[in-house]
Amino acid sequence: MSLAGYEVEVQRDGGLTTEEMTLNMGPQHPSTHGVLRFIVKADGEVMRTAIPDIGYLHRSIEKISEKVGYHGFMPYTDRVDYVSAMQCNQGWGMVCERIANIEVPRRGEFCRVIACELGRIASHLLAVGAMVQDIGAYTPFLHALREREKINNLLEELCGARLTFNYMRIGGVAWDLPTGYPETVTAFLDQFDPLIDEYHDLISYNKVYVERLASVGVVSKEEAINYNLVGPNLRASGFKYDVRRDEPYSIYSELEFDVPVGTGEVGTLGDCFDRYMVRMKEMRESCKIVRQCLNMMPPGPVLAKVARKLKPPSGDAYIRVEGSRGDMGWYVVSDGSEFPYRTKIRTGSFAAMSIVDKVSRGLMIADLIALIASFDVVAPEVDR
Amino acid sequence: MAKNDIARYFKNIKDAVATIFEGMTVTCSHFVRKPYTIQYPDRVPVRIQDTLPFRYRGILEVDLEICTGCLACERACPIDCIVIDAPKDQKTKEMLLTRFDIDIAKCMYCGLCSEVCPTGSIHHTTEFEGADFSLESMIRRFVKAPVVAYKAKKEGETDPVVAPILERGMRYIQEFAEPADMKKLKAEQKSAAA
Repeated sequence: MSLAGYEVEVQRDGGLTTEEMTLNMGPQHPSTHGVLRFIVKADGEVMRTAIPDIGYLHRSIEKISEKVGYHGFMPYTDRVDYVSAMQCNQGWGMVCERIANIEVPRRGEFCRVIACELGRIASHLLAVGAMVQDIGAYTPFLHALREREKINNLLEELCGARLTFNYMRIGGVAWDLPTGYPETVTAFLDQFDPLIDEYHDLISYNKVYVERLASVGVVSKEEAINYNLVGPNLRASGFKYDVRRDEPYSIYSELEFDVPVGTGEVGTLGDCFDRYMVRMKEMRESCKIVRQCLNMMPPGPVLAKVARKLKPPSGDAYIRVEGSRGDMGWYVVSDGSEFPYRTKIRTGSFAAMSIVDKVSRGLMIADLIALIASFDVVAPEVDR
Repeated sequence: MAKNDIARYFKNIKDAVATIFEGMTVTCSHFVRKPYTIQYPDRVPVRIQDTLPFRYRGILEVDLEICTGCLACERACPIDCIVIDAPKDQKTKEMLLTRFDIDIAKCMYCGLCSEVCPTGSIHHTTEFEGADFSLESMIRRFVKAPVVAYKAKKEGETDPVVAPILERGMRYIQEFAEPADMKKLKAEQKSAAA
């Protein structure tokens, strides 16, 4: 018997027929965070495999870049990872600056980093909030979203949109910080810092919550490297790697921040709880970075002079930025015309999807929810 | 062994109750905090549109009085949702605007068009409630009857109708589209004067 291309074995034991069950989780499942499908082969409640089936959200974003040109592609990069669009903006900006040899004004870099780190806090808030909600606790989700809403308001003031920012341009950022913005952001950070502790009180060390996550979905350091996990997922396995620290771009080399790694404090190193905790710690680091940037900000222009019809010399360029879901690679090939010849985007969620099959073997079906949530998979980023 | 298991069983229950109580204190503290939610759209003290920041990118609007017909917005739009027809009048040799359509259903509110506008004619409003029943009604047609395109005057605008609109437009690009475009505009004004 075969279903969806997978052989299902029929076992006969003492006359009673038992067989493996093939379950379809998704594409429209509330816990898969977007349109994702998992083909689960389960023996009772224990999973044999969970094979991710991706492609439901493929929008040919890479191909679109070949039609709309360098400047026109910037709003589309918001849609690559719509939960933290700022880093995608920065990635596209940086790769175009690399290929066309454009220098970004120093104040522009600071604006970029402030916007990116605020975006990272918002993204991690949604990640931990949605994770707790998937496990079954609803209140912390509302607490996280309330704080995210405040960041959305800040970013709205900065660039006029709440989700699809289109804030950055090739050669800098579109708008300088509005008047009084540093004070607003500092006020937000002052009230946000203690709220992280409150969130810990609320849910992080809750016994029921910890039991659901501790030693579930363990990814060892070697496995994480072999499967090319990036970002918080990799760091949770105990490997200290962050593009901002190891290959500093923009002004990150001048800033002081820690790279939190998983410690295995309640279970095994690299379990779901570590991935959750790394995100909580990273929010604090991002707050630190924003504060430093606001203090160090020099005066000056924010946008370099760039031709409206940008025609970079033929060649190719590859840059990496640390997105909220890890190392994000942007590759562009130019043939000297005003349209890119080829664009390739490498994202963290795609790498995280590849390991789901391996880790899910032997887990309960209910743990798959915790697993996907802890990887913080955003479906449009998987497919692009 | 069995004794340990029983001890652990009761310790688990104790821990669970203790941590849930700890979480509940945080939840209950919200009874005395200020609520953060608002009751949209009926019971908001001020219209949401009036509280939005200046840079908010809502539904596009065009002031035809100051549109120069330069087609910069049409070219900048990545999804071609702006369609402009601006033929030259054979008799008067003036540029006529016969069509200026924006498909709001297609528009992705990226702001690239209002950034390149030299007079601030096309601009974002803070309006965001644009739901309607058909796709056709989402196309905003700004030209009711053909109008002559605006031409920048070197001595400044004196027409009492157009002057305040132009002033608003200039203020808009100064605050919205700075710093790249003011330079271009000044250069244009210089070349127009020369």
